[in-house]
Amino acid sequence: MAALRSTSRFVASAKPLFRPSIFARSYATVDPAAQDPSPSETPRNKTFHIYRWNPDQPTEKPKMQSYSLDLNKTGPMMLDALIRIKNEIDPTLTFRRSCREGICGSCAMNIDGVNTLACLCRIPTETSKESRIYPLPHTYVVKDLVPDLTQFYKQYKSIKPYLQRDTKTEDGLEFRQSPEDRKKLDGLYECILCACCSTSCPSYWWNSEEYLGPAILLQSYRWLADSRDEKTAERKHALDNSMSVYRCHTILNCSRTCPKGLNPARAIAEIKKLMAAH
Amino acid sequence: MASIARQSSLLRQTCLSAFRSPFAAKNGAGVSQVVAFHASSKKQILPPLPQSIQGTMNDPAPIPTPHPSEGSYHWTFERVISAGLVPLTIAPFAAGSLNPVMDAVLCSFIVLHSHIGFQAAIIDYFPGRRVPKTRTFCNWLLRGFTLTTAIGLYEFETNDVGVTEALKRVWKA
Repeated sequence: MAALRSTSRFVASAKPLFRPSIFARSYATVDPAAQDPSPSETPRNKTFHIYRWNPDQPTEKPKMQSYSLDLNKTGPMMLDALIRIKNEIDPTLTFRRSCREGICGSCAMNIDGVNTLACLCRIPTETSKESRIYPLPHTYVVKDLVPDLTQFYKQYKSIKPYLQRDTKTEDGLEFRQSPEDRKKLDGLYECILCACCSTSCPSYWWNSEEYLGPAILLQSYRWLADSRDEKTAERKHALDNSMSVYRCHTILNCSRTCPKGLNPARAIAEIKKLMAAH
Repeated sequence: MASIARQSSLLRQTCLSAFRSPFAAKNGAGVSQVVAFHASSKKQILPPLPQSIQGTMNDPAPIPTPHPSEGSYHWTFERVISAGLVPLTIAPFAAGSLNPVMDAVLCSFIVLHSHIGFQAAIIDYFPGRRVPKTRTFCNWLLRGFTLTTAIGLYEFETNDVGVTEALKRVWKA
């Protein structure tokens, strides 16, 4: 992953030489020359308090560092502000980001008390209020705003998130499903596994070792609901214990926080109904 | 249980350092006292976890052994009890009848419902993998309380007026 990323960065930095300048990759920072000149506009400075912790200095406690940005020169989203801070003020600030349009789930963090994607979160325009940015709650921090999602991915792997079939179709072609069956997957397949919902769930905070958490249960239901999957009974059997599903107490933080507007709590309720019926 | 034991050792430690403080002051350090009272890591109930996750993201998390009586059956049972409590609570007051059988059913449902509720709290807050002894102790404590409540309600139903009638009297008193 790291190797890939550094290669792509190299390509990105090398390529603009051979491309017309309009295709050159631009940063979130708005070029002051390109902006329409409006000298009368007063700077709108907003303070951002950002959680900092450096693993290279383990004896130093985590601290909040403050940065001030002029919102007139910053893009509209929190990720724009973070990228501008990293580019112009403090290059040591560390965070994950990739697509900047809410499809990769890299920039999940806790902004003003809500888990969300920085790229989908608008900067509140009132400059009197200060924004506070933390990593996802109840995760081990790798550095600054980068959480350790190893447990999350391990749990994702444990639910076997792929199509399991023993039989083939009669015509030997692909596994097809009716439009109605396909419709059951709407609201499930859009999940990008950003971990915002799982890390907002108190039950997951206390029991993340065994409780799967809303994101993974939504994915579980995505495979339980798939008409092409033939291992529904095995999947249900694997969830049939006191910890995996039933630590959900319908707190509904997951549905409230989901930056993609999905409803993991409903998926968990559907799992409970399926399990009760069998 | 484990937590109580650990706390007492903490207390001993702070007391010791406070004891030692005159010598420390003599040495011009006085640090031990400060450390004992200010190190946040020593004030927590349990020792911190390893601060890292075992294995890599390519190792699947272990799946707990399937146990339907603690999983799906348990959940269904719990829901039936919860849903059943609603009509059971309203019925005797709406109908105005004081059927002792209904009263007994209501009492047993309340006892079961509260037992399951407290049990869920114990499972949530006393994880068996971290505090197995405290978990077992709490479970037995809860069983003891449930049994005592059940016996008390049985006595109240057989030798006294019963729950519904008692509530009615309290309401009118």
